[in-house]
Amino acid sequence: MGGTHSDRILHKNTGLKLFLQTIAARAYPRIIGQHREKSWVFFEIFLPMLAVAAYVFVYRAIGAPEEYIGFVVIGGAMIAFWLNILWSMSSQMYWEKEQGNLSLYIMAPNSMTAILLGMALGGLLATTLRAVVIIILGSWLFNVSYTINNYIQLIFILILTMVALYGMGMMTSSIFLLLSREAWHLSNLAQEPVYLISGFYFPIKSLNFWVAAGASIIPLTLGLDAMRQLVFASGDELGFLPVQSEIFILIFLCGFFLIGAYLLLAYMERLAIREGRLTESRR
Amino acid sequence: MNHAIRTENLGRIYKIRGGKKSEPRELVALKGVHLQVNPGELFGLLGPNGAGKTTLIKILTTLLAPTSGNAFVAGYDVCRHQQSIRQRINMVSGGEASGYGLLTVRENLWMFSQFYGISSKEANRRIKELLEIVGLQDRMNTKSSDLSTGLRQKMNIVRGFMTDPQVLFLDEPTLGLDVGASREVRQFIRKWVNDNPTRTLLLTTHYMVEADELCDRVAIINKGRVLACDTPVNLKRNLQQEAIYRLEVSPFEGPECERFEVLPGVNNVVHTPMDGYTILEMILTKDDALSSVVNTLTREDIHILNLQKREPTLEDVFVDLVGRSMEEVERAEKVRGEI
Amino acid sequence: MSWISQSFSRINTFPNLKSLWNSFWVGAWLGWQIESNWTDPFLFATYSIIKPLSGAAILVVMYGVISEGDFDDPLFTYMFIGYAFYIYVTQIMNGIVWAVIDDREHYKTLKYIYTAPVHFPTYLLGRSVASILIGSIAVIITLLFGVIFMHIQIDLAGIDWLLIFITLFIGINMLALMGLIIAGVMLILVHHMWDLGAAVAGSLFLFSGAVFPLEVLPPAIRWIGYLLPVTYWLELIRRSLVGSIALAYPTFNNLNNLQLLGILVIATGALAVIAFISFRWCEGQARDGGLIDRVTNY
Repeated sequence: MGGTHSDRILHKNTGLKLFLQTIAARAYPRIIGQHREKSWVFFEIFLPMLAVAAYVFVYRAIGAPEEYIGFVVIGGAMIAFWLNILWSMSSQMYWEKEQGNLSLYIMAPNSMTAILLGMALGGLLATTLRAVVIIILGSWLFNVSYTINNYIQLIFILILTMVALYGMGMMTSSIFLLLSREAWHLSNLAQEPVYLISGFYFPIKSLNFWVAAGASIIPLTLGLDAMRQLVFASGDELGFLPVQSEIFILIFLCGFFLIGAYLLLAYMERLAIREGRLTESRR
Repeated sequence: MNHAIRTENLGRIYKIRGGKKSEPRELVALKGVHLQVNPGELFGLLGPNGAGKTTLIKILTTLLAPTSGNAFVAGYDVCRHQQSIRQRINMVSGGEASGYGLLTVRENLWMFSQFYGISSKEANRRIKELLEIVGLQDRMNTKSSDLSTGLRQKMNIVRGFMTDPQVLFLDEPTLGLDVGASREVRQFIRKWVNDNPTRTLLLTTHYMVEADELCDRVAIINKGRVLACDTPVNLKRNLQQEAIYRLEVSPFEGPECERFEVLPGVNNVVHTPMDGYTILEMILTKDDALSSVVNTLTREDIHILNLQKREPTLEDVFVDLVGRSMEEVERAEKVRGEI
Repeated sequence: MSWISQSFSRINTFPNLKSLWNSFWVGAWLGWQIESNWTDPFLFATYSIIKPLSGAAILVVMYGVISEGDFDDPLFTYMFIGYAFYIYVTQIMNGIVWAVIDDREHYKTLKYIYTAPVHFPTYLLGRSVASILIGSIAVIITLLFGVIFMHIQIDLAGIDWLLIFITLFIGINMLALMGLIIAGVMLILVHHMWDLGAAVAGSLFLFSGAVFPLEVLPPAIRWIGYLLPVTYWLELIRRSLVGSIALAYPTFNNLNNLQLLGILVIATGALAVIAFISFRWCEGQARDGGLIDRVTNY
């Protein structure tokens, strides 16, 4: 090794600039990784399409009205976002801890919220592509027709749902700071029950009112329900609550989860530091 | 004076979970640690595995909260001003596998630089320069999963230095490196501190030679307590009033050190069985005590194969403080199951 | 096709039975340790119950919404039984794939296991044992739920016990071999493909007639189902449990149980050969590319 390096860094960003830099930096490995290993294109998009098709044929086998086919297509597409939250965000904290990156993230002056957002946004490309392909292919293959009267409202609901959902993802990620192997199992456990109570494949109205109301804490429940009401002709009859009510609840959920994520992340970080869980490897 | 690092009666107790049926037990990792590191110092923390070095570093780098006492880094409290500390520090651990294998060396380093708010232009410039200094410039665009352990550690070292930290923590940075690579890393560290007199470096190691060669001051730590803290020269000077001998003798049976330690003038004996002979390293109060040792050996029909008087090393300082060599301490800890 | 000859050349160095059993047993023991000791028994039990039941409940609600609660229709029994036993497919596929990811990326022990004198494919098959056991618990819980609460029409006296045990035995081996093929592919893929097992199981769900008769599929894709051993396996399961209901649907009406069993055995045999060749090829690719011990999580 030769000489050393002795000039100072005169300025380091802080505040919002650092926040945005961190998001971009953490999203980078996800984006580059997907670009360098393109196998996900087949496995993450084509194969899930087949699983969605299976549920379409379940409805065909039992003689369901055609709009239920549309429900399956839309619900199947939105599953991609739920899986992204569970696996690429929440339980990712456990993998980062195992690899030794978590302690480096905590030790740096950035914000864990920014790290998580970076992870989420980095995975969003693949997730969104999966959702879009399922909707386009599914709609084409199964002749799903849509009746959209209010595109602005639809896009607004989609944005609200995503913001609330990712806020929820950040909140649950904080819990994973304390967990070890149970993180994987808890993520695994959260898959099917959420498919069920959020009504990915059927209108949430079919469930008991209180079950549906309880399930509304998951942003995808009301988000899906509202989107279905806006894109299908018979959507109104099968909606759980009026669209306007669902929008207000989604706005509330956005605030609740974003603030909750900020507070819970800070609390969990302090707890993990106190109990020495940030660097333990409890496999 | 504003110390770069200061601890006051610092303590940390871990609750160790046993099996499913056993109660959790407490492990005292640190107890009553008082340290003061001056700005611009290369400070060493020397001790065997399980002594508490990494626990101390984790507390100082805000990854772990102390259970008692206080710690301050760059003047800030580790419990209350974590963000202020994080802006001013960095850490490199030995045997690190951080980063992402699919990213290149440059990309990994760039990513970590962004977490410290360094502009991309500045980061890329520093990365390029530092990689040249550590000899990794031709591997800049290699995926980090394709690097050998030694090269990966060099990449980690660049990660630690590139953010220009006010206080840098190196936790066994040469662990797992070959002799050549270790020497290069040590040279780099020494030069960096010399060229950056306002920067402080805390290095933990269990290699005596490393601490002796590099550090301005060394704290010797064992079982969570700091036993001594001074310059390597002063620590060894305290032993120069004593005589240190190394004897190679024929192998013998029976209690190893006790028969010698009871002799007048013998302070400590470390016994190391080898293949075909035994090494006895002794700290004597003065040279005269050697005669009683020789008499004992003769009486027990143990032949002396080689005898040397030597200058004290930090290992001897450790033995003098603890009563056993670092190796023996680690062996004993392993048997007790605490490592 | 040199890789085929390479694969077969290894037959000369095929390990003895003791070594195979050792590899299998160690894999099975390790798999169970990993799957069972991550939490306390209560949470483990809760997890083992909630997961399969919520999956089944999706089907129940879908059916209930459309049929207005007519669960006495034989179609519901047909669907429910298919879904219950399909849990084996997902569990085993997922289990073997995760064994590769866990060992390679999380525990970083794959290189040590690979370089040890164990028969690596047999070790992976052993790792699937835990998935089979957990899958069995899930299947039993789902069936019990169906019988007690959904009035699934299973008559204990009418069950062909011999057929079901033989079918299960062959089927589990068949699924493990399919899992081995995917595990081989996983050796050359990155961590991002962690849900490969579930994705394959999900796609087979469409073509295997698991929850609807194969004839519901358009003819253009129906033929795929006839090529899949899983289709025959599920049909045999249904016939052994609820013979009359299974036979009320047109799938394989022209084949009797013995013929179906024969096809399943032949298909499983063919699968064994395919698994052997494909796994060895993937393994060779992984070794050539230095992928056995790489970490690819991002």
